[in-house]
Amino acid sequence: MNAMVVTYLIYIGISISLTVWVARTLFKNGRVFLVDVFAGNEELADSVNRLLVVGFYLINLGYVSLALKVQQHVSAASTSIEVLSWKVGLVLLVLGGMHFFNLWLFSKIRSRSALRQAPPPVPADRHIGSDGTATPA
Amino acid sequence: MNSLTVLYDSSCSVCCRARRWLEHQPQYVPLKFVGAATPHAEKRFPELDSAETLKQLTVVADDGGVYLGAKAWLMCLWALRQYRGWSLTLGSEAMLPSAQRFVEWVSRNRK
Repeated sequence: MNAMVVTYLIYIGISISLTVWVARTLFKNGRVFLVDVFAGNEELADSVNRLLVVGFYLINLGYVSLALKVQQHVSAASTSIEVLSWKVGLVLLVLGGMHFFNLWLFSKIRSRSALRQAPPPVPADRHIGSDGTATPA
Repeated sequence: MNSLTVLYDSSCSVCCRARRWLEHQPQYVPLKFVGAATPHAEKRFPELDSAETLKQLTVVADDGGVYLGAKAWLMCLWALRQYRGWSLTLGSEAMLPSAQRFVEWVSRNRK
């Protein structure tokens, strides 16, 4: 097994571990948001949570796979570390971007849900009683 | 609150245009429209002063709440999916006086 293959294997190992770690964090902590958004409907929240995590895995692992190829020849350990550092750095940036996108998505879904349940912006000027009499608010 | 009845001046072109616009917006709370001071409106809401409902937009909620002028417009925005955020902003303490002045100015100058 030459240095090139070892570099690839380490890259794949680190990238997949990082993706799984971020996805699990998102899955665990995003659930609370979603349960709140879906007014305590835990089944729906879990379903949406799983679907989001599947999308997260697909995008990240797709990127990891596309970015696998190393352009320069790797023969020494120092070159391998440099290549790995660059590639893992890019994976981390993509994961960070996706993570913040998910946070933004959660907060957007949450604020939309809060808006849906928002009470009227102003109190009534008066009320019409059921007995036909007008009463001040 | 499950529905809002909007009493508007059906002889005023601005009000009719506003009604058409409101009708075509996606709604959280259904809006029903009734011409102000019509026999139907008087029969439905005998407690309301017909002359007052012709002067300014009036919204009656299904819980009996009556909203007049700027408050009625804010309630219409509140009923709409895409404008509820705006209704909360414009209905805040800081913005409400300006919103009321603007609506009064439009009411005075409408034809």
